[in-house]
Amino acid sequence: MSVYQIKEIKQKDNYSFSILWTDGKAVDYRLSDLQKLCPCANCVDESTGERKNNPDLVDEQVRAVKVQSVGRYAVRITFTSGCSLGIYSFEDLRRYFT
Amino acid sequence: MPLPMFGLKNESAAGGKPVHTIAIASGKGGVGKSTVAVNLALALKRQGLRVGLMDTDIYGPSIRKMLPEDRMPGQKGDRLSPALSRGIRLMSMAYFRQENEASVIRAPIANGVISQFIHQVDWGELDCQIIDFPPGTGDIQLTLAQQANITGAVMVTTPQEIALMDVKKSMHLFDQVKIPVLGIIENMSGLQSGGETVYPFGKGGGKRLAREGGVPYLGEIPIDPLLCQKSDRGESIFEEEGPSTSAFLAIAERIQEQLKGLSELGVGAFEMQWQEMGE
Repeated sequence: MSVYQIKEIKQKDNYSFSILWTDGKAVDYRLSDLQKLCPCANCVDESTGERKNNPDLVDEQVRAVKVQSVGRYAVRITFTSGCSLGIYSFEDLRRYFT
Repeated sequence: MPLPMFGLKNESAAGGKPVHTIAIASGKGGVGKSTVAVNLALALKRQGLRVGLMDTDIYGPSIRKMLPEDRMPGQKGDRLSPALSRGIRLMSMAYFRQENEASVIRAPIANGVISQFIHQVDWGELDCQIIDFPPGTGDIQLTLAQQANITGAVMVTTPQEIALMDVKKSMHLFDQVKIPVLGIIENMSGLQSGGETVYPFGKGGGKRLAREGGVPYLGEIPIDPLLCQKSDRGESIFEEEGPSTSAFLAIAERIQEQLKGLSELGVGAFEMQWQEMGE
């Protein structure tokens, strides 16, 4: 069971959003950083875990169409680049962005 | 400094969404999930809560038999209104099939039906929505876990090892999707016979599972002929006193305590549409 839940989520600017977690920690997330870590099957080889998308080619100005919850454990981001399959778990959002 | 929320559609604040959504699950079939779901709903209703009950067993819905409707569900455009039985709002596949007609449908269609139950039913104001899960840990269970904004899961087991094994798998599913397990109910616990209690399915399995899983033990429900008879006739066990009546009321109270004790629930289900903002 994840210790943390999202208490509040806000768009910060055109390229990032911020999350206030239930433990009081506030973290900003830039969309380009998130897409570099996209966990979807198009971006990561499911069998080897090897990254298939080149993080250097991710547009630093990438935006989102929407950010939505997935149950009580993750968020799904629809990027303007077309990628929309990645499910970012709360644990990963806390682990990679502190 | 973050700017104000834009386009945040918080479903739980949008009206008509329940305060708490409780999954009644097991992993194993035949342990009495639907019986527990129905009688917990009646017990919570009796304790003053506004209760809804969603039967998500598309292939073997049985809630309608136990809770015959006072009012059938309705449809207006793409919106559905729930059925009503004893003051409990209900939705089930049983309303869309003849009693002995099977739902011969593949998983994507079944998932579509579940999504409709979650998103297209106008439940009205509810304090508590109970979702009767189908057995297993597959596609439908995952859809429910991802879309139904479940507050917590109540696991139902019978005392024997073979049931505990499947319940553990179901608990693992809830752990994977970060839905807290509110506790374990042991159903078909013991039978009063000739002044003594006999345990045809073994003794203490539910307590042991709760101890091993580090989750609360919510109580046991005895094998009660009255419960069986009343369920088959579509009558409420709460019309008269019996061993299972007091058990359900006590368990409903413990569930309410568990819900109060949950740490902050967070924002719940949301969808944030991206907005153009100044550079």
